[in-house]
Amino acid sequence: MHNGIHTVKQVETLAIAASGDEIRRASEWLTTALRQRDVPDPQVACLELALHEVLANVLAHGGSAARAEPIHIRIEVRKKATTGEARVKVRDAGIPFDPTGAPERTPAKTLAEAEPGGLGLPLIRRCSDWMSYRREGGRNHFMFGARWPKL
Amino acid sequence: MFISHTDVGDNLREIVILGRLDIPGTESVAGELEKLAAAPKKGIVVDVSSLKFLASMGIRALLKSAMAVQERGGRMVLVVGTNSSVVMSLEATGVNNLIPMFKSNAEAARAAVA
Repeated sequence: MHNGIHTVKQVETLAIAASGDEIRRASEWLTTALRQRDVPDPQVACLELALHEVLANVLAHGGSAARAEPIHIRIEVRKKATTGEARVKVRDAGIPFDPTGAPERTPAKTLAEAEPGGLGLPLIRRCSDWMSYRREGGRNHFMFGARWPKL
Repeated sequence: MFISHTDVGDNLREIVILGRLDIPGTESVAGELEKLAAAPKKGIVVDVSSLKFLASMGIRALLKSAMAVQERGGRMVLVVGTNSSVVMSLEATGVNNLIPMFKSNAEAARAAVA
């Protein structure tokens, strides 16, 4: 109890290997877990997409260390009477990478000047209300989350 | 994943993609999309309105096809219907400004061959 308002906190974890099929498994796990905890559909969809992009980045850019060890995912849902927050933490052993400090890509104005890369970070940013990163114990610890209701 | 196409006259090809354009889904259809979009048609319409999920890898595949179509003098457009998650993915990456998107197949077809 805090200020007379009861907060419910629920946690679930998953470990996956670094592969496309495992990333799909993580997406399905996240979606199921958040829906079971009555997280609103728009936040579920956004967090699923953000998680996919975070894990795809690890797979594509994390190097051999990222692929050699499991990637750990933790979700935490906190709910009060009318508000809530879902947090997702991803821990991987890949090359250090701080998505919160990565420069924003300047969007191409025409198809002729477009480059088909660098699309993951804008999706993570769009789908997260907040993000945080730290490097600790030789691992990337990236967290992001979504809150509801949206004001 | 499912990808199919219909040729409408000499100038237009309509491609429909169903399922999830995540990593495995994109890997399973990207080659076929590239081949279908390479047809010598003026307009290519790609219907993504029933996709359940559109990640960056899928957007990249769409973008590469649109670039290839433009390089050979054609035009590729998207049908998004009322799929808000697909629209959100395209808008967040700015790709909606590069590949025109339409709610209906009829609008998209007109724009593709205009």
